[in-house]
Amino acid sequence: MSAYIARRLLQGLIILFMISAGMFWLTRAAIGDPMSQYATAQNISAADKARIRAKLGLDQPMPIQYLRWLGLALQGDLGISQFSRQPVSELMATRLPMTLWLMVTAEIVIISASLIIGTISAVRQYSLLDNLITSFSFIGFSMPIFFIALGLILIFAVQFKNWGLPYLPTGADIWDFNNPVEMAKHLILPVASLAIIQIAGYTRFLRSSMLEVLSQDFIRTARAKGLAERAVLMRHALQNAALPLVTIIGLDIPFLLGGAIVTEQVFAWPGMGRLFWEYTQRSDYPVVIAVLMLVSAAVVIFQIITDVAYTFVDPRIRLS
Amino acid sequence: MKGNKLFYSMSIIVISAMVLAACGGGATTAAPTQPPPPTAAPATAAPATAVPATEAPTGCQDIDAFDAAAAPTDKAVKIAYSQEPDNLVGYYSNMTYSAWVGQMTQPGLAEWNENSEYVPDLAAEIPTVENGGMTADGLSFTWHLKPNLHWSDGKCLTSADVKFTFESIMNQKNTVLSRSGYDKIASVETPDETTVVFTFSEPYAPWQLLFTSGPNTANPILPKHILEGLDTLDGAAEIHQPTVTAGAFVPQEWVPGDHLTLVASPSFYGGKPTLDAVFIKFVPDPETALAALQTGDTDLYPDFSESDIPTLEALEPTLHLGVVATPLFEHYFFNMGTVAGVDGKGKSDVDGPCAFKDIRVRKAIILATDRAGIVDALLNGKTVAPATLYPASPFENTDLEPYPFDHDQANALLDEAGYAVGADGIRAGKCDGKDVKLSFNFETTNKQIRVDIALIAQQNLKDVGIEFKPIHTPAGSFFGLYSEGANMPKGTYDIAGYTTGFYPDPFSDNFLCDQIPNAENGGQGNNNYHFCDPKFDELWQAGAKETDFNKRKAIFAEIQKYMYDNALVMPMYARANIYDVSDRVAGINAGSYSYLFWNMEAWDLK
Repeated sequence: MSAYIARRLLQGLIILFMISAGMFWLTRAAIGDPMSQYATAQNISAADKARIRAKLGLDQPMPIQYLRWLGLALQGDLGISQFSRQPVSELMATRLPMTLWLMVTAEIVIISASLIIGTISAVRQYSLLDNLITSFSFIGFSMPIFFIALGLILIFAVQFKNWGLPYLPTGADIWDFNNPVEMAKHLILPVASLAIIQIAGYTRFLRSSMLEVLSQDFIRTARAKGLAERAVLMRHALQNAALPLVTIIGLDIPFLLGGAIVTEQVFAWPGMGRLFWEYTQRSDYPVVIAVLMLVSAAVVIFQIITDVAYTFVDPRIRLS
Repeated sequence: MKGNKLFYSMSIIVISAMVLAACGGGATTAAPTQPPPPTAAPATAAPATAVPATEAPTGCQDIDAFDAAAAPTDKAVKIAYSQEPDNLVGYYSNMTYSAWVGQMTQPGLAEWNENSEYVPDLAAEIPTVENGGMTADGLSFTWHLKPNLHWSDGKCLTSADVKFTFESIMNQKNTVLSRSGYDKIASVETPDETTVVFTFSEPYAPWQLLFTSGPNTANPILPKHILEGLDTLDGAAEIHQPTVTAGAFVPQEWVPGDHLTLVASPSFYGGKPTLDAVFIKFVPDPETALAALQTGDTDLYPDFSESDIPTLEALEPTLHLGVVATPLFEHYFFNMGTVAGVDGKGKSDVDGPCAFKDIRVRKAIILATDRAGIVDALLNGKTVAPATLYPASPFENTDLEPYPFDHDQANALLDEAGYAVGADGIRAGKCDGKDVKLSFNFETTNKQIRVDIALIAQQNLKDVGIEFKPIHTPAGSFFGLYSEGANMPKGTYDIAGYTTGFYPDPFSDNFLCDQIPNAENGGQGNNNYHFCDPKFDELWQAGAKETDFNKRKAIFAEIQKYMYDNALVMPMYARANIYDVSDRVAGINAGSYSYLFWNMEAWDLK
């Protein structure tokens, strides 16, 4: 087991190196020259631009720039934002807690709601309720997230206020420990907009997985033993049906760190997604690369964790 | 019970992530404190602007420090910004949003008022030849500071701070964005606490930009007693987020990505502002900002786009729409690579389309494009298609009339130039003995308004037999590097378009021959027009040196006429700044140079 984990970790490290090199080149190619934001600035002369470029090391060949970055990154120094001149790690440290606060809450809502709705949908297959859930899943799944997010704001903030009802905040001022109620209120709309799409997807997944399990022999055996239907569903069916969901959640968790770009934009949520988006716009590649690397590292690590977790939960898999 | 393990392990991950979230957040954010009652009575703490002359010789005395963290925030205006400033000191930032905060917090020697006039800020008066502040040769400037100026920590603001600011800008260890102009200052003398004398090595006409908090850059005076002794100002906390300022407001709290709170400073030279505080929320999505305006979560959003106008008009009268003309303009321009190089020094690497050598072709393109129609349809008629490059500026040559939308005249010019419509509907003819077609690529960024305008222009030009093929590129690549082959510096475009503006000073090096990026100069240079004309160059060079306002205005009027007569660029529309503000905010006095925030100390809440 530990040999397996060590091997996977080593593979992971090699992959991360390859990703970092590829990312460095691709990012520079994709987001362009950091100095380009000053292209039409009247008071920044060509000499000024050359001076800043040299100071930031941007005049060096790409391999040198990459090795310099890698050397510092290995020592835990992710560089300085070329835009705000703040250390990248500092920028990320202020944003990560905000993203986790939003995403973890959303994920709890998503997982619990999906398990409940998916099970009901499967057990009552083709019933009116199942058809309703199916319809809503498809609607939820096919709507763009900005549409859902703005729609929620329009209804629960703007219109509720117009109707004289208690209304929800639209964003900002979300980090107030003295006022947990206010903090919770700020979570409702962003979590809802994240959840609607994800629940729609997970529910469909769990429903089909559950239906497959329910048709299997061991369920029939369990029922034949005279077990209560509830026990059959919860202990035998759901536990097996939820297995494939572990893989999906394992794949999704790393992106919790990366934040939800659209949701964070719309709700003015100061998280990683917005950091990534804003600094991409500013061609600030040290920040962009750092966020991408964080997510890549998380993907690699959570893949290993998921695989290991599988050996615990699925009796059919044994590594040794 | 295998499944339970799954749920246990997941719960542990989730819970530990939440704990992390909670810990991290707690560490980075100061819990808001209850504002205690104001400590000092503003009337006594704030020095009046006029101090009896008899007191002057004793010099400035330090006053009590102001605790920004404990300042009241009861009477606060709430503003939403779509972008978060990067730095609050203009020498390190090119962001408009940073300049706006700079206008509220950090004054320079002078500023522009609502009538686009250059008026004193920390200075007592603007140096002129008449008042003896400027020498006749335009080389030496004597600035007198207002007496008894104080930083928010109670220390005196003196000429030593001005000198320190200059030295910081020129210090090689500081990666300031622009040294333009400052590098022409040969010496700075401070004969007394309130007098600074700048001597330039050569006449520098845009001197008003230096040490001045302007509409699009903030170049404030820096506090020597705070920053002195730092090895470099790069990344210094006091530059990124100053705690000591000389302006009407002082930063109190900045939660990255969330909000910035400024509180009124009692030591501001104009006295404590009427407002207690300014809350600036960072709301990246304009739709969300609009919703926040409607729910009263915010009082003001300064950066709506033209397409929002109908929505905003419907919200009157509780919310008030403001449209302020700016000297920024969207323009299309022709690649003049072939016309350039007449004197040998401005040669471009790549030739532009041969057809552009003929002024009739350039003029026909301008005449054939329905710019007024574009303004009406896409910009809700809230702005104009200007004649040249200085809309809403004191330097605008108002004698020039914008080219009309006239297909007949355009067709006549193209016929006369020898381009006949072919079977495919595109005009073709001879240029320098070679067959050419009037078919041009048009390069610009992928901003929606640009996509929409290009579609109309394409149709307009098709009607006179000119093929116009828009290519939309992300801004980062569009304005890219010469070494990476980006179209603007390389000159590999036919027609291009973007927004720029030559203000508050009219000078720009964008039209100078030696600013054409090419292989010889390693791609350095700001002349994306790839245009070089000795006569035009001479005019710009003169404009760069003339320090007399009226003579300068005449030079720039001539520059505009030359540009207009020779159809060098096609100004598409003058940009407007569009804001929406709650009816409870009073005292806004917006102007095309100053925009909204320059007189924040006079704002009030109804």
